[in-house]
Amino acid sequence: MKMKFSIYRYNPDTDTKPRMQDYELEVEEGSDMMVLDALLALKEQDSTLAFRRSCREGVCGSDGLNMNGKNGLACITPLSALKGNTVVIRPLPGLPVIRDLVVDMAQFYRQYEKVRPYLINNDEPPAREHLQSPEDRSKLDGLYECILCACCSTSCPSFWWNPDKFVGPSGLLQAYRFLIDSRDTETQSRLADLDDAYSVFRCRGIMNCVDVCPKGLNPTQAIGHIRSMLLKQGV
Amino acid sequence: MNKNRPVNLNLGAFKWPITAISSGLHRITGILLFLSIPFWLWALQESFTADGFVYVKGLLSGIIAKAIAWLLLSMLAYHIVAGVRHLLMDAGIGETLEGGRRGSYTVLVLGVLSAALIGVWLW
Repeated sequence: MKMKFSIYRYNPDTDTKPRMQDYELEVEEGSDMMVLDALLALKEQDSTLAFRRSCREGVCGSDGLNMNGKNGLACITPLSALKGNTVVIRPLPGLPVIRDLVVDMAQFYRQYEKVRPYLINNDEPPAREHLQSPEDRSKLDGLYECILCACCSTSCPSFWWNPDKFVGPSGLLQAYRFLIDSRDTETQSRLADLDDAYSVFRCRGIMNCVDVCPKGLNPTQAIGHIRSMLLKQGV
Repeated sequence: MNKNRPVNLNLGAFKWPITAISSGLHRITGILLFLSIPFWLWALQESFTADGFVYVKGLLSGIIAKAIAWLLLSMLAYHIVAGVRHLLMDAGIGETLEGGRRGSYTVLVLGVLSAALIGVWLW
């Protein structure tokens, strides 16, 4: 069975603007391959095609792409999940394109850096380790699993328009992950850092982030929790 | 080498989930309703006098004016319902993927229903 692909191409050395290029791939009847496998096969046809990938099993978060209009990881998205005759593959929306499907993630990482994504504990170091009850530990479930693939933030219109000021779904999920950690002592200053019109409150509840997250996480809910914490602190 | 990096932001090539559609419509109706405020204020002021009331009434009974009024009132109804949904979400209700989809679907159905009811009331 022949499958058609339409792929976003841009080479900064030769192109002034991006274009879509058509490809065809022979896919064995009844077989179902992942989009990443299809891309690797297409790269054998055309070695100039550039994209990122590493672990090929949805853990590293390198191959976030926009496939038939929806962000996701190419390595865990089967071709059968994409409807239509032609599979359209574009880079993650909103970020500058370096080449073909490879985007510059600097803006995304800058927002991540802003939320201080590490445990801060200013108490006297305990003799052995910071203990945490199973209940407190379970509060981190659904937060710590984020692999920073940027599928969510690059599907978020609020992030598209304000990538420098709005922390974005991924960064805010991480922010909440440390706000709710019982071992972290910087809760107040973390909240103070987020207490402005843009950082958290640019979220409009569009929920594109929840729709696309390949790990099934829920940034909208985490953002809601941060807002509640800010509200409780304010009254 | 071209140093100006392009950005893939083709909104037509992006697949919008139902939650984005309901939220976007809330925003669009809000802007249009805001822009219509001068007209409604003017119509209200006019209609304080007996002559003005008859004049505004005549103006609004034309088929096109009526259709515009119907559209604006339908948008107002949708904007209120979708706004209440966003308030509920702020309170932590309907924030899951399934809950968000259900909420959006409910809001869109209620919007169409109220548009139909407003149409019946106007005609």
